[in-house]
Amino acid sequence: MKKTFLARRNALLSSSSVSWGAVALAFAVLALLLRLLAPNLFLHIFAPAFRAAEAVSARSHSFLNGFRDVAALAAQNERLMRENDALASENRALMERTAEADGLLGGIVAGVVARPPASPYDTLVVAGGARSGIATGMEAFGAGNVPLGVVSSVSADFSRITLFSAPGAVTHGWVGSAHTPLTIFGEGAGAMRATLPRSAPVAVGDVVFVPGPGLLPVGRVARINSDPAEPGVVLRIASSANLFSIAWIELRDIGAALRDSFSLSTTTP
Amino acid sequence: MNIRNGILTVSTLVSTIFFPWPLTAMLALAASFFEPLVPLSAGIFADVLYYVPQDGSMPVFTLFGLAFSLIAVFVRARLREGIIWR
Repeated sequence: MKKTFLARRNALLSSSSVSWGAVALAFAVLALLLRLLAPNLFLHIFAPAFRAAEAVSARSHSFLNGFRDVAALAAQNERLMRENDALASENRALMERTAEADGLLGGIVAGVVARPPASPYDTLVVAGGARSGIATGMEAFGAGNVPLGVVSSVSADFSRITLFSAPGAVTHGWVGSAHTPLTIFGEGAGAMRATLPRSAPVAVGDVVFVPGPGLLPVGRVARINSDPAEPGVVLRIASSANLFSIAWIELRDIGAALRDSFSLSTTTP
Repeated sequence: MNIRNGILTVSTLVSTIFFPWPLTAMLALAASFFEPLVPLSAGIFADVLYYVPQDGSMPVFTLFGLAFSLIAVFVRARLREGIIWR
């Protein structure tokens, strides 16, 4: 007699007991509920883990760099270029301060709790919230007055910053010494892109600016992609600030007029 | 509850905070061979930690986690019916 085999069982449960996957899913859903119902408590709970992750990352980075001289030199070169950009920007900002002295630049300094690449959406979590005077729509600046992004959500003690390089972020700015206007699109992982006509005066290394109190350098043209089938060229833009090692930021209210040039919605916790 | 599965599951969730997302994705994929719900859990957890809703953006980690969990459940169900599992 032919034996029929009916072994169809629940694929989610590999044994008679509850699976690890079900426990993990319950934990994730619990975390989701906590973030939705008590976002401030949620970040208070996870902030120590973010800080521990940062410490681990810094130690592993210094350990690995000990084996790579060439990599260390390249990193140093990159750091010096960024510092140069930051100093030029700071110089420009200082000159504007002396000229205007309008009180715009008194920002709120906040420490960064989580950043890319651990944060995959190009967002920063910072240890400063409504109690510190931070509000949605404020602009975040890094060292040397480099604009980084916009505050997209605020709880009592923490805030989330959506960077200009976040996927879906759209910013209006200028490029090069001719100040050619362009629209900058976030690509993720600190990268941005923009499209310009072939005739536009732009070269690799040109500085890309966004509006702030004056022109502020958001990045440099790292590569120009030119497809003969396309009418324009695509600029690949690298951020002026190293988003992967930002330790603190300054937050300022830039006003509604400037905020409108950043197409980032600011909605939920 | 299998210890190996437990280590893989916990490592995946811890990796969401401590390591870049590609490593987390690889761990989640590896864990899905034994625990199909782990990719979905890791995706939800990553979005809970880092996702900020805004125009035009989607919680992609949850969506990819769901897709990989469904694939893992389907494959495991087929294997259980087939000769390989016996």
